Order: sequence, then structure tokens, then C-alpha cells
Amino acid sequence: MGEQPVDRDTASAIQEFMFREALALDERRFRDWLAMLTDDIRYEAPLRVIREGLAVWDLSPTSRIFDDDRQTLEVRIQRLETDFAWAEQPPSQTRHFVTNVLADPGDNPDEYKVHSNCFIYRSRGTSPTPSLYSLSRKDVVRRTEDGWRLARRWAAFDQALINAHNLSILI
Amino acid sequence: MNTKPESQSLAAWVEETREGIDSGRFPVRAFNDQAVYDLEQERLFSKTWCFLAHESEIPHPGDYVTRYIGNNNLIVARDEHGEIHANLNMCRHRGNVMCKAEMGNASHFRCSYHGWTYKNSGELVGVPYMKEGYEGRLKRKDWGLVRVRVDSYEGLVFGCLDPEAPPLDEYLGGFQFYLDLYLKHGLGGVEVHGPPDHWIADTDWKICTENFAGDGYHTPVAHQWGFHLGYFPSSGSTHSQGWAVSIRGKGHGIGLGHGPNFPPFGGFPDDLVAEMKQSLSPEQVEVFSRTRTAVGSVFPNLSFLMQPFSLEPGEIGVRFVTMRLYHPVGPGRMEMYSWCLVPKNASQEYKKEAYRAYTLAFGQAGTFEQDDFENWTKVTQAAGMTMVRGVDFPYIMGMDSAPDPEFPGPGHAVVPYVNDTNFRNLWSRWADYLAGEA
Repeated sequence: MGEQPVDRDTASAIQEFMFREALALDERRFRDWLAMLTDDIRYEAPLRVIREGLAVWDLSPTSRIFDDDRQTLEVRIQRLETDFAWAEQPPSQTRHFVTNVLADPGDNPDEYKVHSNCFIYRSRGTSPTPSLYSLSRKDVVRRTEDGWRLARRWAAFDQALINAHNLSILI
Repeated sequence: MNTKPESQSLAAWVEETREGIDSGRFPVRAFNDQAVYDLEQERLFSKTWCFLAHESEIPHPGDYVTRYIGNNNLIVARDEHGEIHANLNMCRHRGNVMCKAEMGNASHFRCSYHGWTYKNSGELVGVPYMKEGYEGRLKRKDWGLVRVRVDSYEGLVFGCLDPEAPPLDEYLGGFQFYLDLYLKHGLGGVEVHGPPDHWIADTDWKICTENFAGDGYHTPVAHQWGFHLGYFPSSGSTHSQGWAVSIRGKGHGIGLGHGPNFPPFGGFPDDLVAEMKQSLSPEQVEVFSRTRTAVGSVFPNLSFLMQPFSLEPGEIGVRFVTMRLYHPVGPGRMEMYSWCLVPKNASQEYKKEAYRAYTLAFGQAGTFEQDDFENWTKVTQAAGMTMVRGVDFPYIMGMDSAPDPEFPGPGHAVVPYVNDTNFRNLWSRWADYLAGEA
């Protein structure tokens, strides 16, 4: 925990921002979602690797499932806006359950490090079997003149071998 | 519609399939069927050379990864002298798993059941209560881990369960010429950017092998978004240009897609192009300098793709290389492994850019890969329907295309790039194995 705890109003505002960000994704308001990101956003999901108990790392330092910045996230959203994003036709129904939100002061005065758990329920078409993803998120949010923005998303899946034929959703 | 009786024996079905391939027909059933899957385990994966790992995944003594050939789980380890071994991941004493992790580093493997201990080369060195219990009857040299033959080409380590199978060089049969594009596009060779992204999909492994053996036909439709938004340097009208090359009788194939105004080696940094002109032969340079997309499969289940991807519409963009392994885990079900290969000596900047382009296009969140798997799972689902058990697919594109006599590389090269010739060669080899004649 940070030495100077985040005051209750700030913590509450950050939590609300996290919930609204998740809501934009679940409602497929992708342009609204992009507007919640800073221009220098880093959006990463490191690859989990099963190694011996005392190994130095179990999240790969180099391999990523998502390795995006503002430009590549724009490409992903533009793609979803075409009629040819077959992986999302019909679209996935997602529900992001964001819990255990903890905010600490960040490296810059207007930034906060936010830890949260994220559980994503994803169903496709008429399949009765959903894909379930549990993630640990270590994000950075920034207070700007225009409101709160996501400056970094770092999300690690709690499963090494993900049981879904693709990841055409955002996390 | 060509319907066959349900009671037809598997052997008769295989024979009919072999004959059908010659006339450009292939049975839908092959893509999702328990009996076909079982026959593949017994006759195909037990005899072919299968990809295990890239040497750069296990660079140091003691480094290991666990991988599969068919349903066999193997430890692929570099021993204390630098030599690479593959052994069955099973204790010889009572069958427990030796390595439960996907990767690691160890000089020895110790079984957690009764404590038998092996060197990372597979040699048995430790047996608790050896003297008291076995009274001199157990010879350690007779009870090492079950060894699997290994051989390598340019950093690719392959294993083969059949001691009688021809050597890897002969198995590749000239396809090395094409593999060099992926493995020698820099003077220092290539390395993996990191551990592979891997995931489970309800897809038959063969659909992926086929697609990467040069299915240029699907690209303008399945990946239309890339053409539509200008992020992929080709267009629907010119996409059929280029060569499809197959190694007859071996099953390997590659598609070499061209672009009409595409600059030689477009999408590579200049210093890397200079290196390629040294690392590749003049014939290879002639073939590859014109290539925009190179997509190839090593029979049975290893594939490569090199293509440029642009983040600026209309620009050529940056080239990346992906290597993928399709590990069958059941009828119509597989585990996909996807790596990004980068030139070992390239600048960090290029490696980073190439990796970013790779993750945007491939891997489980990749925008090209997402759509491929959407199509492939649906094909697999369809192949499992009882009504299609007697139905064939048409593999008749390019039935009469003669090999291009001017083509400077080995193999059977035909134009255009959009062609089924590679696929007939692939399925013909697959059927030879299933018939027990390979």
C-alpha cells in the first residue's frame, strides 16, 4: 500500500471510472471506450507460463496476448466497425465483473495505480457454454482536465491455457 | 453427392479417399471423426518427424520445455554438454509425470512418487534403496527415460517416434529452400521472441495445416477488413498473383503471394535486406525478393507465415514471422501454439515493431487469427454432422496447371498462387500414412 493513502472521494471516483469503463465495453460502445483512454495508453496482457514453483517469473517478460497502444487499439475498433469482423458476428455478449478495486498514489501527481480483479463472462451465439476469464489487473488511471482516463491496462489471465478459440473481446 | 454406406470399413474408406484425392475430391468426414483421429495417432504421428521446439527456447544447459508428438508428452531438454534430447515425460518405474511445468531449468529430474532420478539427458542415475531393494538385479542403464529420436534444421528441433523412419533431411526433401526464408532472414539466424501463446480450440489440426500450405484463396474474404481499411498491402483483384510450390510425395507446401507494385523485400529494414542477400542463395533471393506473403506448412502440423502489416493505411508496413504448431488433442479438437520469430541480430526497434504487428494480426487476440478460428471451428462442427459422412469437398483448382519451367527453386511450382495443387499433395501424403504406405 502507498504511504499516503488515497482519500475516500478520490478512491470512490476511481472506482466509478473503472465501472463505467467496463460498462462501455459490455455495451459495445467502443468509441466511448476509446475516449476513456489517454493518448499514451499501454494496453498489455502478458502470457502466463507454467513453471516450477520457485521460478523467477511465471508471466513472460516478452510474450504478450495483447501488446497495444493507442494506434493499434484504434485499428482493433475500426475493424469491429466494419462488416467483416467475422469473429464478432454475431457479437460476443460480455459482462465484466470488476471487484476488489484498490487505488494507490502513482508515480506522477495526477496518476493512481489501481489494482482490481476482473471476471469476464463471454457467450457467443446459441452456444450454452460460456467462456470464463479471470484476470488480475494493475492499471494506471490519470486525472485530466476532461476527467479520468485510463493510461495503462495491464491484465494477467489466471489461466495458462485459455479455453476459447479466440480472444476477439477487450479485457 | 457421393454417398457411401455407413458400414464401410475404415480401410476401404482410406483407399477410396486416396483415389478421390487424385481426382480432386476429399471427404468432409476426415476433419472430425474419432476413427480417423485414432488412425492418425497410430499411423501418422508415430512415423512422421514432428516439430518439438526452437533451439532458442532452451538456450542454456538444463533448459527444458515439455511438448507433444501425437498424444505423447515429451521433455525436450538441453543437457550439460549442450546437446538436445527428447524423452517421454514418464518415470520408467511406475509412470509418474517427471516434469509438470511447461518449461524450466534442471540438471536432473526426480520423480515425486518413489524418487527415481534421471539426468536431463534421460539417463537413470538415482534409485532409492538400490542395494537393499533390488539386490543387484536392476541395471540403471536399462531403465533410462524412453528416448525419442531428435534432429534439427536451422534451429528447428524435430522428433520422430519411428527408429526406422528416414532422416529429417530426406523427410524435408528440399523444403529447406523455403524454410530458409523464415529461419535465415538475418545473418545470425532467428530466435523466438518469447514462449508461445497457446490455446485450445474445437478445430481439426488439418484445417490449419491446409490453410497455411498456401490458402491465398481465403484471404480477401476471411480477412477482408484488412483490405477494406488498407492495412494489408494487397487487393482482391491482384491477390491471386504468385506461386504455389509443393514438394511432391512429401506433403510440404508453400504459397508465395506477389503484389504488382510491391518493392523487393518490402517491409524489411534495409540492413536486414543486405543481410538476406548474403545469407540466402541467389535462387532464394530471386524467389523471395518478389514475395509479399509467404505461407507454408511442413507436413504434418508445423506452419510458418511471413507478411508485412501496416498500421498506416496504404503503407507497406513491417514484416513479421510467425511459426505455429497444431497439436491434435481429440477428433475436431486441438491445441494451438503460436510463436513470433525475430532475426537474432536485428535492432531492438525492429524486433519490437515486428512483435507488435504479430500480436495485432496473430495469436489468440490477433485480428487475422480471430477470424480464421471462427471459420475453422464452424468447418469442424459441420464435418461432425452425420449427413456429411459420404460428402466430399472439391479440390479441383489448378488440376491441369503444369509446373512453371522458369521457376528457380525446388519442388512443383504452379501459378496462380490461388490453387489447390499444394492441398492435393498434402492430402495425398496424409492418406499414404493412413493406408500404412508411408
